[in-house]
Amino acid sequence: MKGFFDYVPGSSYLHRLNPLTKLLLALMICIAAFISANHLFLVMLIVLNLGIGAQAGIFTRSVMLLKGLLKLCIIIFLLQVLFIRDGNVLVKLPLNIFITDGGISSAFMVVFRLVTATMPLALMLSITQINDLSNVLVTKLRIPYPYAFALTTAIRFIPVFANEMTGIIEAQTSRGVQLDTRNIFKKIKLVLPLCVPLLITSVRKIEGSAISAELRGFHLRTKNSCYKKYAVNINDICVIMISVVIVGSAILVNSIF
Amino acid sequence: MIHIENLSFRYKNGRKPALDNISLTIHEGEFLGIIGGSGAGKTTLSYAINGVIPHHFPGDFYGSVKVANTDTFDTTPGRLSLKIGSVLQDIDSQMVSSVVEDEILYGLENFSVPGDEIEERLLSALEAVGILPLRYRAIDSLSGGQKQKVAIAAIIALRPKVLILDEPTSELDPKSSEQIFDLLKELNEKYGITIVVIEQKIMLLSEYVKKLAVMDKGRIILSGNVRDVLGHSSELEEIGIHCPRVVSLSNSLRDRGADVGGVWINLDEAEAGIRRLIYD
Amino acid sequence: MINLQNVSFSYNNEKVLSNISLHIDKGEFTAIIGSNGAGKSTLCRIMNGLLKPSSGTVTVNGMDTRTTKSSILARHIGFLFQNPDRQICKNTVGEEIRFSLDIAFTDKSMIEKRLFETLSLFDFDADSNPFHLSRGERQQVALASIIAAEPEILILDEPTTGLDYVECMKIMSIIKKLNDKGITVIMVCHDMEIVLDFAQRILVLAEGRLIADGETREIFKMEEILRQASLLPPQIARLAARFGFDDVFYVDEMTDIVLKRIKNRRKRTG
Ligand SMILES: Nc1ncnc2c1ncn2[C@@H]1O[C@H](COP(=O)(O)OP(=O)(O)O)[C@@H](O)[C@H]1O
Ligand SMILES: Nc1ncnc2c1ncn2[C@@H]1O[C@H](COP(=O)(O)OP(=O)(O)O)[C@@H](O)[C@H]1O
Ligand SMILES: [Mg+2]
Ligand SMILES: [Mg+2]
Repeated sequence: MKGFFDYVPGSSYLHRLNPLTKLLLALMICIAAFISANHLFLVMLIVLNLGIGAQAGIFTRSVMLLKGLLKLCIIIFLLQVLFIRDGNVLVKLPLNIFITDGGISSAFMVVFRLVTATMPLALMLSITQINDLSNVLVTKLRIPYPYAFALTTAIRFIPVFANEMTGIIEAQTSRGVQLDTRNIFKKIKLVLPLCVPLLITSVRKIEGSAISAELRGFHLRTKNSCYKKYAVNINDICVIMISVVIVGSAILVNSIF
Repeated sequence: MIHIENLSFRYKNGRKPALDNISLTIHEGEFLGIIGGSGAGKTTLSYAINGVIPHHFPGDFYGSVKVANTDTFDTTPGRLSLKIGSVLQDIDSQMVSSVVEDEILYGLENFSVPGDEIEERLLSALEAVGILPLRYRAIDSLSGGQKQKVAIAAIIALRPKVLILDEPTSELDPKSSEQIFDLLKELNEKYGITIVVIEQKIMLLSEYVKKLAVMDKGRIILSGNVRDVLGHSSELEEIGIHCPRVVSLSNSLRDRGADVGGVWINLDEAEAGIRRLIYD
Repeated sequence: MINLQNVSFSYNNEKVLSNISLHIDKGEFTAIIGSNGAGKSTLCRIMNGLLKPSSGTVTVNGMDTRTTKSSILARHIGFLFQNPDRQICKNTVGEEIRFSLDIAFTDKSMIEKRLFETLSLFDFDADSNPFHLSRGERQQVALASIIAAEPEILILDEPTTGLDYVECMKIMSIIKKLNDKGITVIMVCHDMEIVLDFAQRILVLAEGRLIADGETREIFKMEEILRQASLLPPQIARLAARFGFDDVFYVDEMTDIVLKRIKNRRKRTG
């Protein structure tokens, strides 16, 4: 979890785009992933995601993200393979379980979709400052400021909580709790009680943030308060067009094959 | 500037009143230190001044608090923040952004400071607390001490008339703590900003502030010039406040017959006092 | 007890500790001082095996931290973090202490005995809710649950930060009591008065290097070293230095020397 969502400073082509453009690109890739029913196209989208990561100088993180998703993918893949019974039976297992070619095909589809739809959002958050995102939401999309603030606070807290959890685990390990065990069930049993300190700290932090925002003019803010200007330039237009092309090709590919 | 009259406050779920009949006047341009053990009500008092009480925390509120002739009861913490800048006790939770620069910009934007002025204020605030190189750093990656400096920079960028700081050096090393107090002193002397600082490090306080207020169990039990307050060192010791060691030194010399004059409250005074005793 | 040999440590390529060698013996009371970011907390984490050195070796009671599980090292070293809220996870003070005891001991009567001893050492009410206590009291609860397990070594990372004087003295006097009983104490602290009053030995860190290691009074005389580490000696020592009085650290010592000077002057003039 830690380190997938926090901002990585940089000045790549993608970093410099308007936050809205980045958001649009991410959403369009997600949409394309859900529309598409073509394995090859989905694989190409995954490659595109990695390409985006490489361009923005966070290739290692993209690969880590992919690895992180792998565990989840394996579980979903197995469930799909074991419980979908369309098409021809390839293997017959005891307990009346079949493995079919349709099952395998749709399992791959679901897994590819999951990956293609998760990656762009995580990558977008890695190369966009949350405040910038909130600012464009308020100034360009006219979303009321309190909602934008709530959204940014929620996103901002992800790495904060991850850090807090690391600290809690350190503290508990130091007092001899065997969090370094390899037994996953034992580990879960040991980690669960640690949610208590996490919860207490979270409540305190959220309350502190609210007071602090109030004491720095939260209620005085207007739509024009924002200092940074977010211009849309030629690069943004290009990327917007590419986003549309991606969704378009998803539809096109579907209708051809 | 700040006028508190017969203020009592009990948090809604609190058993005892957190503030018990407090009266205190803070004049424009003063540099006041507030000391007291934990649970004495220092933070609550600061909340009463910046309007968090009664607007954010409900409870029984008696008496009145006036800031620049405005009753805090009739306004909001947001509007009060145009006059009073507050640095809160819990540094971690008072951040509202993920990047240092944004944290400083936050208040400036909310106050609708004109665009051409913002950049300059941002830079001078970062410069003043010595964290210019941290401008683009993620707040999450900073140490406790660095965060404390960010919190202070975010407030001084707003150029308030009154600054109230709740234990602003708790996580800082001695050198950085002195830097913060040097900065407060400069703000106070050069720009006439009224400063109220809650602090456990009484030795540091007595090198800088001119006045002290001592709190215990929700009351102000002593207040006045630093020298007058520290003159009551045995009473302070009784409620668990430990005076700087130069105070004990002057007391101990006096008890053994030396003519020390009044109590010595800081290093310079102690040095002058001893020079007088052994050279003149 | 604890032995570090040419230990270096880096967080993602950023060198935080460089080439530190030191040895801490049983029963010592050592303070680690240095400015913010000097590497004090990192050094503590290296000592209890939470972090493994990038190069060099760390041994605790002869066990190499690189090959020993943290949970085993924890039986020998108690570690108090700066923030007690990361440690406390039970609803009553008694349960919190028992949680540590259950990990450390298997003998039921031993657990009851230690629980009782610890509660009375700190004068705690076993049924009070730690989350309703003040920060200073929670710090005490955290300390109590660590020392209940009877570690031989105690590492304290800024145990008094954010506490008032009374809370500070209560914690320090308990730590002192344990040290008198032979427990090794290693403490990070920014308050030079506390360091002076309690520690026998000081390690000075500056930018990840151990620039001095010696007896408390000796270290506080090394102005140049302290300046390098952005630190100042305790108040009375600073005052004494302005008069060139050597080896004066406490109010009593300063009083004596000033009175002696006054007497000398009277003799000369009178
Ligand atoms: N949100 C709250 N709800 C109920 N009681 C509180 C709250 N905050 C503080 N108190 C109580 O008010 C008293 C004063 O607390 P505080 O002002 O934080 O003291 P100080 O800052 O001097 O340590 C304490 O007894 C504390 O328990
Ligand atoms: N988890 C971490 N990741 C990266 N750098 C860190 C981490 N923790 C500490 N550091 C860096 O290591 C240095 C030493 O930190 P630390 O040991 O916490 O210092 P101290 O406790 O003396 O204030 C600092 O420069 C800090 O920024
Ligand atoms: Mg307080
Ligand atoms: Mg530290």
